[in-house]
Amino acid sequence: MTSSRTVARPPNTGAGPPLRLVFSSLLRADFLVFLQHRRALIISMLLPVFVLISTSGSKATDKFGGAEFVIGLAIAYGLLSTSLIGYALTVARDREKGVFQRLRVTPAPTWTIMTSRLAMQALANLLIAIAVVIIGSLIHHISPSPGQYVLVLLVSILAGAVFLSLAQALVGLVKSADSVQAWARVLFAVLILLGLLGQSGALGAFWSSVARWTPVGVVMTLFAGVLNLHAWDSRDTLSLLACFGYIVVFAGIGIRWFQWDAR
Amino acid sequence: MLRGGQALAYVIAEEHDDGSLLLAPEPVPGVRETVPAEDGRAAAVAVSDAAAILQVRDLTVAYGPKTAVDTVSFEIRRGEIFGLLGPNGAGKTSTLSAIEGLVKPQAGTILLDGIDSRRHPNQARARMGVQLQATSFQSELKISEIVRLYAGLYGVELSGQQIAEGLRAIGLEGEAHKPFKQLSGGQQQRLSLYIAVVHDPALLLLDEPTAGLDPQSRRQLWGRIEHIRREGGSILLTTHSMEEAQAVCDRVAIIDNGTLLTTETPHDLIEKHKDDPRVREVAHGKVTLEDVFIGLTGSEIRD
Repeated sequence: MTSSRTVARPPNTGAGPPLRLVFSSLLRADFLVFLQHRRALIISMLLPVFVLISTSGSKATDKFGGAEFVIGLAIAYGLLSTSLIGYALTVARDREKGVFQRLRVTPAPTWTIMTSRLAMQALANLLIAIAVVIIGSLIHHISPSPGQYVLVLLVSILAGAVFLSLAQALVGLVKSADSVQAWARVLFAVLILLGLLGQSGALGAFWSSVARWTPVGVVMTLFAGVLNLHAWDSRDTLSLLACFGYIVVFAGIGIRWFQWDAR
Repeated sequence: MLRGGQALAYVIAEEHDDGSLLLAPEPVPGVRETVPAEDGRAAAVAVSDAAAILQVRDLTVAYGPKTAVDTVSFEIRRGEIFGLLGPNGAGKTSTLSAIEGLVKPQAGTILLDGIDSRRHPNQARARMGVQLQATSFQSELKISEIVRLYAGLYGVELSGQQIAEGLRAIGLEGEAHKPFKQLSGGQQQRLSLYIAVVHDPALLLLDEPTAGLDPQSRRQLWGRIEHIRREGGSILLTTHSMEEAQAVCDRVAIIDNGTLLTTETPHDLIEKHKDDPRVREVAHGKVTLEDVFIGLTGSEIRD
């Protein structure tokens, strides 16, 4: 007996590709890009090293509140540089070129695309923080304990998140890569000047207070706090809270207004 | 490599008295299947209709106050090349972008291989291959790394040897270590198409695939698209080349000002409109698809 009726197809599970494979593919590609940018990572170390060397005299170090503050300031500048100039510009340029649109038409969830990029940026932040602490310890003759190194790493993750969320807010609010570059430079210059001049007291008490609570100021305070745990006080705790506040606000803006397409 | 999702479809070829079934692959609907004729020559016959691979119903896309796509409905059959034609700004790319999930429609339904792409966008994307109008990959990655990345994003793990074989098949074996931007326009299109079908999609979406290509590259690309169709793939494409659409597409739809004007086979479209005064006015001799297109959408230049 022969029939030509059509049988039901096997159930369509609707399953996408395995998340593990999607994420590992993105991480691998972003790591390769990260390796290509290693020269940029080295360049972003120049400013922190300059800060460490230029404040190596005891008088200069005291002006900034001690060696721990100087090292904190140097790490903050390194992270600010790689996040604001590096991450924000790369995202803006890739968006303008249509790289994100091509990724978005794949089944990869959008959060995996961004998380992979942020993971590589976090790796860059860790490398910068470790390098600056080592160089700073040698120049300023302090000997952090292994526990303090761990704390520095933890704070560098938090500090990295502050500056990355600031960078995310920038690419969320500004579309064109050229404008992002211009704004990143302005922000970078303002935060650096506030950090150097404000913290040193050269601009007076008011600006010193403002500088203390800028993203650079609170991050610097935190680094100094973990490098000198005995002196941890309420200002350090408030700086920690301020870091979380900045992350929530900047990331909120950056996620809410971010557009994958530059058009 | 491309199976076109056909392996899932079967019909009962024979049903025996003991209850056992003999299954055979379901014919690819809408495809001119080649069968031997009585005199031994090959003859092209149309096979029966079956479920559509893509169903678009009342799709509406708006950018602020401007409606780019206005209640557009069409469907694409399995194994079919479907051309979406229209002047600049007619709504072609917006329609494709909605299907791809790049823009959120204001209304309408999009069913891809039975999956509601608005409710399950990632699952739907897993079943489609996409070549965007302007493709750009990470400029720091080499060609082989780009292939590995996108294969992985579609759930396909490729070894180094498989990647090399794939690049050899598209004539890019010597370019594996170059970045994408160092490829010529034709090479970029070949790579983009290869990546679009690396996961054997049920539907391939091509947005103006031959734009900016020289005649040789264009001819080669159409050869590859034809090959994908012969393998059972279904294709939705947009193009400005009416000559190519007439030669390659099984059916075409003309869209203008966000509204779908007509959907026919190129032959039927010409037959239906060849006596339309608007078409006769622009035709020079035998009416072509381009004459019908200009007749229906007007001669004024669009930006």
